[in-house]
Amino acid sequence: MSGLGPLTSRELKKWYRNPVSLLTGLIQPFFWLALFGSAFSKIAAFGPQLLDGAPNYITYILGGVLTIIGLFTALFSGVNLIFDRRLGVLGRFLIAPIRRSSIVFSKIFASSARILVQVGILILAALLIPDGLEFKHGFTVLDGLILIAAVLLVALIFTSIFTAIAVRVTRPDTIFGIINLVNLPLLFVSYAMFPPGLMAGWLSNAAKYNPVSWSAETIRTVVINGTLSASQMHSIGIWLSGLAILAAALLLMTYYVSEKEIRE
Amino acid sequence: MNMAAIIQTKNLTKIYGGKVKALDNLNIEIEEGEVYGLLGPNGAGKTTTINLLVTRISPTSGTAIVNGYDIVKQSLEVRKSIGVVPQDLTTDEDLSGYENLKMVSRFYDVPNAEAEERIHKLLRMVNLEDVKNRLVRQYSGGMRKRLELIAGLVHDPKILFLDEPTLGLDVTTRTQMWKYVREIQEKLDVTIILTSHYLEEVDALANRISIIDHGKVLATGTSDELKSNLKGDIIIVAMKTDEDAATIMKYPGAIEAKENGPKTVRLKVQNSDEELPKLIRFVSDNSLSVTRLTVQKPSLDDVFLEYTGKEIREEEPADMRQTMMNMRRLRR
Ligand SMILES: Nc1ncnc2c1ncn2[C@@H]1O[C@H](COP(=O)(O)OP(=O)(O)OP(=O)(O)O)[C@@H](O)[C@H]1O
Ligand SMILES: [Mg+2]
Repeated sequence: MSGLGPLTSRELKKWYRNPVSLLTGLIQPFFWLALFGSAFSKIAAFGPQLLDGAPNYITYILGGVLTIIGLFTALFSGVNLIFDRRLGVLGRFLIAPIRRSSIVFSKIFASSARILVQVGILILAALLIPDGLEFKHGFTVLDGLILIAAVLLVALIFTSIFTAIAVRVTRPDTIFGIINLVNLPLLFVSYAMFPPGLMAGWLSNAAKYNPVSWSAETIRTVVINGTLSASQMHSIGIWLSGLAILAAALLLMTYYVSEKEIRE
Repeated sequence: MNMAAIIQTKNLTKIYGGKVKALDNLNIEIEEGEVYGLLGPNGAGKTTTINLLVTRISPTSGTAIVNGYDIVKQSLEVRKSIGVVPQDLTTDEDLSGYENLKMVSRFYDVPNAEAEERIHKLLRMVNLEDVKNRLVRQYSGGMRKRLELIAGLVHDPKILFLDEPTLGLDVTTRTQMWKYVREIQEKLDVTIILTSHYLEEVDALANRISIIDHGKVLATGTSDELKSNLKGDIIIVAMKTDEDAATIMKYPGAIEAKENGPKTVRLKVQNSDEELPKLIRFVSDNSLSVTRLTVQKPSLDDVFLEYTGKEIREEEPADMRQTMMNMRRLRR
C-alpha cells in the first residue's frame, strides 16, 4: 500500500511539531487524574468491594481514563482529513498513484501512535502522584499487552467510524457536531468511570453493550489483579474478542468506503 | 489515429449532477513534446478537461488515452506517467518545501538517491534552494506557486498539466513563472498542457492552442494559424487632404473601408503583407500624400472574440470562492 509510509510520517510530524498539542498531551493526563482522583475519591469510602478490590480510586479508574483517552483521540481522528480537503492538500494525494485507502489509514495509524504515547505518559503520571496507581498483585508482560490491546482496539473502533464519516463530510462543524452528540453518552453509559453498583439498573444494563465498558473492564481486571484467575481470563477473552471483531469489521468498512468514496 | 499523439480524447463528455454539461463530446489530440494551451471563457470546461485527464474525476461518457493508458480503465498507470499542478494550492503548509517534495517523491516510489538529486535540481531551477527548509506557511505567494510547479515534477513525468499556473500572481511574478515553464519544457523534455484565461500567457507559452467554449472545441492551431484564419488584417492610413482620403476609401484591394477619424481611413485587407506593396503603388499612381501608415495584425484577443463572441478581458474565473481562497492563501 504505497503512500501509507509518507502519509503517516507527515501526520506524525504535524503532531509533534505543534507545541500546543505536545504540551496539552503532557498536561492532560495529570489533569484527568487529579480531577478524577479527588472528585470521586468519596466512592472509595463505600468500601473496596465496590472498587473490585482496588487499593484506591486512581487504581480503579485507570482503565476508564486510559479508555477515554483512546476514545477521545479516536473521535477527532477524522478532523484532519476534512482540513486536508479544505486546504487542498487532499487534491495532491488524489492525483498521486497511491491507494485511496492509504490516505485514511495514515490517519488511523497516526492516531494509534498518539494514543500509545498518551497511554505511556498517563501510566507514568498515575504512578508518580501521591496515593496513585498501585500494582498490589504485580503486573506481568501479558498484562501490559492486554492493556495496550484493549485501548488500541476500542480506539480503532471509533477511529474507523470517524475517519469513514470524514470521507464524506466536507464541513468541520458537521463532524464536531457528531462528536459532541456521542462523546458524553459513550462515556456515561459505560463502566469507564463508575462501578456498576453505583449506576441505575437500566444504565448499567445498557453499559454492558458499550465497547468502552469492555476496554475499561479489561484494563481494570489486569491492573487490579495482576496474575489472572481462569474466570478472569475468560471474561477478558470475551471482552477482547468483542472489541477485535468490531474493530476488524469497522476497519474493513472504512477500507471500502475510502477506496470508493473519497473525493475532494 | 495520430501515432505521435500522447493524449487523445474520444468523445469525452462530463455532465455534473445530471444537469450541467461541462464537456460535450470533446475530441482533442496532443502531440508528444509540445506545449498545448487550452483557452476559453469561464465555465468553458478547461478545468473539467484537465481533471478528467488526470483522473481526478471520471467521465460521464467517452474516454481518453493518456501516454497509452485509458483514463477510465487504467487510472493508476495514467497517474504514474503524469505530473499535475492544479488550479488550487496543494502543498502542506505545516511541512517545509523540501519535505513536501520528498513526500511526493515517495508517493511515486522514486528511489531515495534519485529523489534527492531531482529535488535539488528542481529547487535550484526555480530558485527555492535557500528556503527549502522553511515551512511552506512562511513562503510568499510567488514562492508557493513555484513550489507547486515543481511538486508536479519530482517523479520525472512524461506529461505535465498546468491549470491556471499564474492565477492571482502579479505581473512580474507571472513573467518569471513563464520563464520557469519554458525552462522546464526545454530541460526536462516533458509535454505540457496548460490552461489559462490570460491570453498573453497562452500566446507566450503554447505551440498549439485550442479555443474551447461550452465544452466544445471551436478552433485549434498555432497562434499564427488562428490569427491568419481570421479574415483580414487592418491597415490604417492618414492622408494629407480630405480628397486624398476620399480616393483611398475607394481602394479596390480592401474588403472593407471605413473612416477612422479626420482624414484617416481604416482598410480591412485579406493579407497585409501582400496588400501593402499594391497599396503603395495605388498611392503613387494617384499621386496621394500619406502622412502616416499603420498595419495591425490581429491579436489573439481578436481570435478569441471571433470564435466565442466574448471579450476575454471581461472574464473573471467563474469559481470566485475558490479564487478568493487562492488569493488569501497567496497573499500570506
Ligand atoms: N463540481 C461541479 N459540480 C457542478 N458543476 C460544475 C462542477 N465543476 C464545474 N462545474 C460546471 O461545469 C462547467 C465547466 O467548469 P470548468 O471549471 O471546467 O470551467 P473552466 O473553463 O475551468 O472555467 P474557469 O476559467 O472559470 O476556471 C461550468 O459551468 C461549471 O459551473
Ligand atoms: Mg478552471
